[in-house]
Parts: sequence; C-alpha cells; structure tokens
Amino acid sequence: MERFGREWRIGWAFAAPGLSMLTIVMGFPLVYAIIMAVSSMTLLHPQLTPLTGLDNFAVLLADPLFWDSLVLTIRYSVLTVTGEFVIGLGIAVMLQSVVRAKPLYFAIITIPMAMSPISVALIWRMLLQPNLGIANHLLESMGLPRLDWLGHPDLAFWTMATVDIWQQTSFVVLILAAGLAALPRDVYEAAEVDGAGALYRFFFITLPMLRPVAAIAIVIQLINEFRTYDLPYVLTRGGPGTATEVLSLFAYRRAFLGLSLNEGAAAAFFLLVIILILTIAFFALLERGSRRP
Amino acid sequence: MMNPVSRGLQTQTAVAAVALALVGLPGQAFAEDVVLRALMEDVPETTIVEKMLPEFTEQTGIEVEFQKIGYPDMHDKLVPQLVSSNSYYNLLAVDFLWAGSFPAAGWLTDLTPYIEASGFDMEPFIPSMVDLLNPYDDGLYVLPKYNYSMGLLYRTDLMEDPALRAAYTAQTGKDLAPPATLADYVALSKFMKAEAGIAGAAMQAQRGDPNSMEFSNYLFSAGGAYLDNGTVVLDSPEARTALSLYIDNIKNGAQQGALSATLDDTMRLMCAGDAFSMVSYWWMLAQIDDPEACPAVAGKVGIAVMPGGHGESGGWGWGIPKNVSDAEKEAAWQFITWIQGKEASIARALDGHAPVRSDVFADPAVVAKYPYYDIAAQVVASGKAFPVFTYSAQYQNILGTQLSLAATGETSVDDAITTAAEGLEKLMAR
Repeated sequence: MERFGREWRIGWAFAAPGLSMLTIVMGFPLVYAIIMAVSSMTLLHPQLTPLTGLDNFAVLLADPLFWDSLVLTIRYSVLTVTGEFVIGLGIAVMLQSVVRAKPLYFAIITIPMAMSPISVALIWRMLLQPNLGIANHLLESMGLPRLDWLGHPDLAFWTMATVDIWQQTSFVVLILAAGLAALPRDVYEAAEVDGAGALYRFFFITLPMLRPVAAIAIVIQLINEFRTYDLPYVLTRGGPGTATEVLSLFAYRRAFLGLSLNEGAAAAFFLLVIILILTIAFFALLERGSRRP
Repeated sequence: MMNPVSRGLQTQTAVAAVALALVGLPGQAFAEDVVLRALMEDVPETTIVEKMLPEFTEQTGIEVEFQKIGYPDMHDKLVPQLVSSNSYYNLLAVDFLWAGSFPAAGWLTDLTPYIEASGFDMEPFIPSMVDLLNPYDDGLYVLPKYNYSMGLLYRTDLMEDPALRAAYTAQTGKDLAPPATLADYVALSKFMKAEAGIAGAAMQAQRGDPNSMEFSNYLFSAGGAYLDNGTVVLDSPEARTALSLYIDNIKNGAQQGALSATLDDTMRLMCAGDAFSMVSYWWMLAQIDDPEACPAVAGKVGIAVMPGGHGESGGWGWGIPKNVSDAEKEAAWQFITWIQGKEASIARALDGHAPVRSDVFADPAVVAKYPYYDIAAQVVASGKAFPVFTYSAQYQNILGTQLSLAATGETSVDDAITTAAEGLEKLMAR
C-alpha cells in the first residue's frame, strides 16, 4: 500500500472524529493539569501565571509525607494486584470446569464489581466497626478477640487491601475467564495424548497462552490501584497516622485542603508518570517474553 | 408611517428593557422567584432548621432546598462551586474553620450593606461568635448560625453508682466527683473502663477534623494554646502534657477503634450506653437526652465545662456567595434574617438548637425546657478557638496527622508537638 494513499487517508478520516473527541476530553485536561503543575495556581490565586517551573515538584520531593505515600502506594498496588490476580485466576479456572448454572456464578461474582467503591467502603466500614460491627461480633462468638480493623496502624493497611481485593477480583475473573474460554482446545488434547498431567497443562500450556490476557488484566488493575482514592477516603481518611495515605489522597489534600491546586496537580503528575512507566515496562517485558524461543 | 429612527429607538428601548430584566433588577421583585440551595452538614441542627422551611416559604414564597452530607465532604463540594462563574449553592453554611479562607479568596459577599439596608439587629448576637466567624476587619461575611462549643458530657448515673463510688474511693482515697483537671478526667475515664465495663471515653480520634477538634479541648484544658496575639505558642510543656494525656486516654480509656472513629461513632456509642463520657459539642446533650432516640441513657447524662476551665469553641454561620445573582443574594439575606431572628431562634432552641443569640439563652421557655442551659452558656463563654486563618483547613490536616502519628507511636509526643507548631508557623507566614 502506498504510504499516504487513498486507504491511508480514508483510515484517518474515519479515525478523526474519535481522535478529536479523545483530544478534547483527555488531551486538553491532561495538558491543562501539566501546565497547572508548573504554575502558581491556587484556589486563592486562580491564575496560571506566573509559571514557577519545577518549584512545585521540588516542594513535593522535599516533603517526607510525599515519599511515604509514594512507597505506600507502590506496596498497596503490588499487594492488591497480586492478590486479585492469584484469586481471580483460581476462580476463573474453577469456573471453567463448571457445567451447570455458570451464568449464575458469573452474576454472583460480578456483584462487587458492579457496586460503586464508595458504597463498598461504607458497607465495609459498618461491618468492620469495632464496637457495633458484625465482623467483631462474629469473632467474639467464636471466642476470638475483637480486632481494631481500621484503627490499628498495621491492620488498617491490610484491611483496606483486603476490601479492595474483595471488590476488584471479579473484574480479573471476568477477563481471565474470557481468556481461558478462548484458548484452543486442540493443544490440550495433544498434551493429554502425550500424557501431560493437569498441573503440567496448567503451568506449561494455560499460563503461557493466557499471558497476553493476563498482562492486560494486570496492567488495568495496576492503573486502578495506583489511582485508588475512594476506599481510603471513606474507610480511614489516610489514617491512623499515615498508615493508609495513598498518593491520590495526598494529592487531594494538597489541592483541596491546602488550596494548592498546583502542588496537587504536580503530585497527580507523578502518579501519571509512574503509571506510564509501569505500563510501558510491563508491555516491554511481555513482548520480550513472547519473542523468547 | 413611523419613521425609521423612531422605530430603531423603540427596538433599542425594548432590547434594553429585556436585557435589564435578564440581568436582574436589584431587590425584592425577583427574590421570591429564587430557589435557595444550601449544602448542609447532616446533623440534628440541620434537621431542626429543615422543619421550619415550609413556614419560611409560606411567608415569603421563597423555596429553600437543603442538600445534607457529612462534614468531611462539604468543603470539597463547596469549593468548586465558589471558584466557578456561578455557584449552584446560593446560600452558604460556613464552618468557622473556613471563615478565614472563604473571604480571603473573595468568595463571600460582605453582609454589612445588607445589615444596614435592612436594619437587622445584630445586638443580641454573642460578640465572641461574631468575632469567631469574622476574623477580618474589612466587613462582616458570615452571620452566626449556631454554636458548637465543646464540653464534657458524662453519665451522671455512673457517677452516683454506690459500687463505683466505693471502688473509686478505695482506689484513690478521693470521692468520685466531676474531674477538676485534665489528668483527673483521664484517670476517671480509665477507672470507668476498668470498673464499669464500658468505654471510659467515646473518642473521635480519626485523623483530620475529628482528632484536631477533640485534641484542642485537651490543649486548652491543660492550659496550652495555639496562638498568643498572633504568635504561635503551641510548642509548650502544656501542649505536651495535653497530647500525652490524649494518647493515654485513647489507649487506656477509650473504646476500641478510637483512632478511626468520628463524631457519628462517638454519638452511637454514647447513645447505646456503651461509654461513660465524651468530649463533644454541647448540643449533643439534647440529642442524647432524647428518650426516643437514646432510651438507654436519656436523663442520665450531664454536661460540664472542660476540666481546667476551657474547651474548644466553634460555630457555623450563614454566608452568601459572591458569584450568584443579586436576586439570589436578596433571597438568601431574607432567609438568613428570618432564621436568625429572635422568634425562629427560640423555636429552634426549643427543638435542641445551640443558640448564638444571648436573648435566646435567657428566654424563660428555653431555660425551663433545658435546665442545663446555664452550664451550656458557661461552655460557650469559656471556649477558646482553633486558629482561624486562610489555611485553617490545611492546618487541621497537619495537626491531625501529627496527633495520629503520635497516638500510633510512629512519632514521639515531643516531635509531634514541635512539627505541629512549625506547621502552624509556616502556614501563618504564607
């Protein structure tokens, strides 16, 4: 095909409306946020000028709370995505062998995903309320001590991660189940003829063939988890101490409590860069893996 | 035939008339067509006002709509409206913590011309409430709405319980009595937790607004302060004592989960009879004393000024955004003067409202219904305020973080107080 031929032009013509919309709804806010991050814009001074260069980034980098929240966000994202992937894969594989009432199982599994994170957080906050919540009531009825789920600095982080995994796993299940259903049957039949056991088939056929779908699921979830805001906002407000202060919450505090939209935008920009790097690195790794003989 | 010039003039006049009508002729004529919209904190005070809205609409023809949400979300919802070209909310409920930043940002209408034009009598308003909500001298931007000074709410039935009295005397050699100092209070809270089998204190130690408000009472009670004539004096032995006692009470006197608890949690706990005391807003007593809402403790709760003589003072006010039409401003002012007038204020007080007018505190019907109003008046009069300035909300976050870090043992009391004091200095210098 000629490089700038008729098909090329038609292709761009069809893509142009969509690309224009994307530019307006995504490109403009993104560019505006980047400009805001290098500006003097606050809620008390709602103008972009004078531009301040990298000052806002320097302020953040000098703040130990920023680094704490960054490290915590990385820990949190890795933990939750790992949990969601392992549990999600297990459920997806189990669902594959289900013959009867499969749609019912899928419907049940989809329920947490269909709920808004705010509702999920509010429900769990009530369930985990240390004095009146059902979780401690159950523990007590089993003769176990009550736990301070959201008020203990160590436990709060794990509690929040568990609630997140509970909600987000269903998304991973759906993606992986779709990927599993699309795998070619003949490969398995050939492996069975060759005497390959179930574990062998899982680790050496299913997992490698599922890799592209799994990668997409992991990347999407990593992005979601890095942006997590709703759960810590409702469950803990970042506390106790800074035990659950993720980066998005830190950015919110800067922008709306500190009235510094510029510093909030700079913090959000860091988040964007990290997500971009992770996404590119992940797909590069995937690409390299798929080329390996 | 009409000449072209006069036809042109007629057209221009008609266009000008329509334009004038569209931009809104000032005053009364259009106020009754306005629907007032306010974002309100979901607390009993709002419900009390809400019940009176039909009466206002009947009298003026102005509809009023309240959106009720939790306090922590209010600031986030209001700010985007106030920075926009036209605010959806044309009547504002303003917390005293925002009374520094909102006028500084130029978001509020100066109410002085409205007060002068309408002749609204400001005399009965408690001066400390007016000052609390108006830290600047260039105008009056917020009219006091209700008071939320904080005091000590405690269970009188437990204080009178013979077994507990005997145990207390045996342990301390003293009679069981309302605490005179902050240390006495924390000791009493710990005693009640150990002996009465319930939390000694229902504490709201969640990071941010809850713990910074609660701690302020401990600070003032221990003789500490944030500011002295504009100078930061938080870094003091009194503040360290206050924080040490605050942490001691969280760990050994309060309910489990105090570090993640908010006002609602403490209210539920106290209402269920699962706590001996709470340092809270004095108007909470009217809610807890309600036999229908809190049958377990109604009639068994008393109120006192914080040990040491001073608690946290606070309050809400009414404001009018700058970025709304004149007709909306006029309607909002009509509502504010009506709801804060003497008649409506007394009606609200009889329903549990925390007044900001001295004539309501002295009203015979109100005093007859709430005999504790004399103590409430002392709570209000003795209250000291959290620093009100442009960055109060941010400072609350800084202080709340340090308090929470100290309570979890992630930082020391010394470091927490020093960092909190430095944070205040930096923000005040900004």
